[in-house]
Amino acid sequence: MMDWAKNSIDLVNQSRLDRFENPVDNLEKNISNDLLKKYHPDYVGEKRSLKIGPNKGDLPIPLELANLLEADSPLPHDFEPTADLETDVLIIGGGGAGTAAAIALQATDLKVHLATKLRLGDSNTVMAEGGIQASIGKDDSPRKHYADAFVGGHGENDSDLLRYLCENGLKSIDWLAQLGCMFDRNQDGTYRLKSGGGTSTPRVLACRDITGLEIMRVLREAIRQGDTHILENHSAIELLDDGNGVATGAVLWNSQTKKLISVSARAILIASGGGGQLRFGGTTTSNHIGATGDGLVLAYRLGCALVNIHSWQYHPSGFCYPEALVGQLATEALRSLGAQIVNCDGERFVDELNYRDKVAAAIIKECSQGKGIQTPSGKTGVWLDLPMVELKQGKGTLRKLFPGLVHRLGRFDIEPEKNPILIYPTLHYQNGGIRVNRSCQTDIQGLWAAGEATGGLHGTNRLMGNSLLDIIVFGRLAGKSILENIPERKPTTLTALKKFRRSLEGIPKSTRTYSPQLFPDESNWKMEIDKEEQNNQSFSNEGSSFEPPDPFAGRF
Amino acid sequence: MKVDMDEKEIEIKISGKTLKVKPGVPLIKALWNEGLPEEIQTGCMGGACGACTVTVRFPDGRKGKSDLACMMTTAEGMEVFPYRIEAMPQIPHLIANPNLEKLKKSFPTLDRCTKCGSCTSACPMDIPVMDSITRMQNNEFENVAEDFVSCVHCGLCRFVCEDNVKPHNMALWIRRSLASSEEKLETQRSDSFSTTDDAEEWSFLLPTDPKERLKRAEIFRETGGVPK
Repeated sequence: MMDWAKNSIDLVNQSRLDRFENPVDNLEKNISNDLLKKYHPDYVGEKRSLKIGPNKGDLPIPLELANLLEADSPLPHDFEPTADLETDVLIIGGGGAGTAAAIALQATDLKVHLATKLRLGDSNTVMAEGGIQASIGKDDSPRKHYADAFVGGHGENDSDLLRYLCENGLKSIDWLAQLGCMFDRNQDGTYRLKSGGGTSTPRVLACRDITGLEIMRVLREAIRQGDTHILENHSAIELLDDGNGVATGAVLWNSQTKKLISVSARAILIASGGGGQLRFGGTTTSNHIGATGDGLVLAYRLGCALVNIHSWQYHPSGFCYPEALVGQLATEALRSLGAQIVNCDGERFVDELNYRDKVAAAIIKECSQGKGIQTPSGKTGVWLDLPMVELKQGKGTLRKLFPGLVHRLGRFDIEPEKNPILIYPTLHYQNGGIRVNRSCQTDIQGLWAAGEATGGLHGTNRLMGNSLLDIIVFGRLAGKSILENIPERKPTTLTALKKFRRSLEGIPKSTRTYSPQLFPDESNWKMEIDKEEQNNQSFSNEGSSFEPPDPFAGRF
Repeated sequence: MKVDMDEKEIEIKISGKTLKVKPGVPLIKALWNEGLPEEIQTGCMGGACGACTVTVRFPDGRKGKSDLACMMTTAEGMEVFPYRIEAMPQIPHLIANPNLEKLKKSFPTLDRCTKCGSCTSACPMDIPVMDSITRMQNNEFENVAEDFVSCVHCGLCRFVCEDNVKPHNMALWIRRSLASSEEKLETQRSDSFSTTDDAEEWSFLLPTDPKERLKRAEIFRETGGVPK
């Protein structure tokens, strides 16, 4: 395989021993904030400022996002919400944050519905590979964790939120362990801790290279063992309000029946994740197909301010080859364990464990200066030298600690023990999002938000492992805050949408016909609404619980 | 290293419909290009969520299989059948210190396994499912936990089992029960906070001026604490 790059691979293989024996320690000097300004997509992509809403006139944001936030709702103009479903809490999003919040609300008096566009757990959480940060090491502390994340976020972080995150690391790990998450351990039974980009001491816990999968499959079972009503294949396309600025429900679209359902709720939690599938400037993404920034759209229309949405994370090591894996991640944990980033000549050019935005910018720079390697489909990337992991950590390490990676590459006859792989930065994380306070409350009463949909916590650059901690800490906190602060039921109207539609009349028409867009443009998925009356009788509150009949039923 | 974009098209079938597509393209993307995004249920597009289960066969005798569509690429003559597996069944609650007896009580179908091997050949993650069922029956739970470490819970092993054994559900029950057993929690924990400097460190890290705040965080990172 990869014969088209044979010459360059030979150079990488030849320089490996020398790179192993003679580490270079002046690579830091290649990294500066100027590098970001010149090469990071946040600075060089096509952008504009918003013309309406709470963030009108703020820093320019990616063009695609601006068009999304200033597009019309897909709701027909004559649509009148008639509460098809009454609940106490409506959680929008079935990833880690939404599920953690739902579990926190189980065994309370509140009736909780969780609506998710895809199936429960089909999310960015399930794809998270590297790990989860928690300051539980001997020489570590929540303050060190805070300092690392604050510097990494360029000081744009909300200190209150960040401090709360860092002080709840151990508690969250304990909670996950009690639910049944297996984190990797050392021989002596203590948790195995790794370094991540920008951590001043080892602080990342993991379950091999499938940490998010481990967390999500445990949360998914835990929520199903409780009393949460799960609505799969239900996308939120609009929020409802009481006419006086309080959020009171949502309109959901069932992607199977194409029908609309209006939900009346006393509290709404947006936990709908990020927007990597917006693919600014045609970039690749590591995100799942539902990551289209829906939460930003819904909250913005209702009048919530957004923070730092000019800032997006490009993960330095997205696959650049083979074609089927393009954009997906080769986890940062590979670099934690010694994998080096090298150019076409087999030379290192960046400290692999610097902050993600800087490593990504360094790779883009290297490629733009002709030091990259071109694939048969015309993409350019640099090498991630995986055999170095075996050299540094011992033979068999990749197979043992990165079973997910080895299996995925094995499908394409690529053996990571023998050859380097090609990587290029890929759109990975929405650093900014909906503004929330220390109780996960947004600017709008009745509306909470948690997880990737929110902004402030990570500043303008997130550290590896802080997102999985984020969804657990703030997912659970949102549940607790809702329980303590839930308002009484109020009428459901489309007053905010009507106001938003009036403000659209005063600005140039968006290039996008409607938002939220729900699915990637590339998918050609058209949202159709069946306007026939929803038949309440056939609408099940229980979501899908289909199980094939047991042919042996009655045998016992 | 010239790109061969003029590669000729090949024929594949999806649910009986014939499509002309480029070879070597991820299957889901080929369907997107054809305007058929709803043909196969899709979730993460990264081989982790288990939504896009399909079976594939080749009329010419090449080996077919069940797999995740997002991890497959188009190949001449392939016939694809969406194999949608609905929500997970009701899962029994966790039990501390799991053993064989407790497993059988929670999953009475365990011993129905006839060792036909369908589950193993159905697994898109190459988990030795049938062998692991044997390990369950032998009370080798630590090994079962290891076997299923990369399980995406697509449900194929459960769906192809004509005896209604639920391999992936049992495995997760075992993993969760092992992990949450009290005894173990105490030995896992490396809880060693220095709590003495808490207040002093936070007040150093949180001055009101945002610029000063960043500067202090940088100093704190370098010195590992409040400079003396």
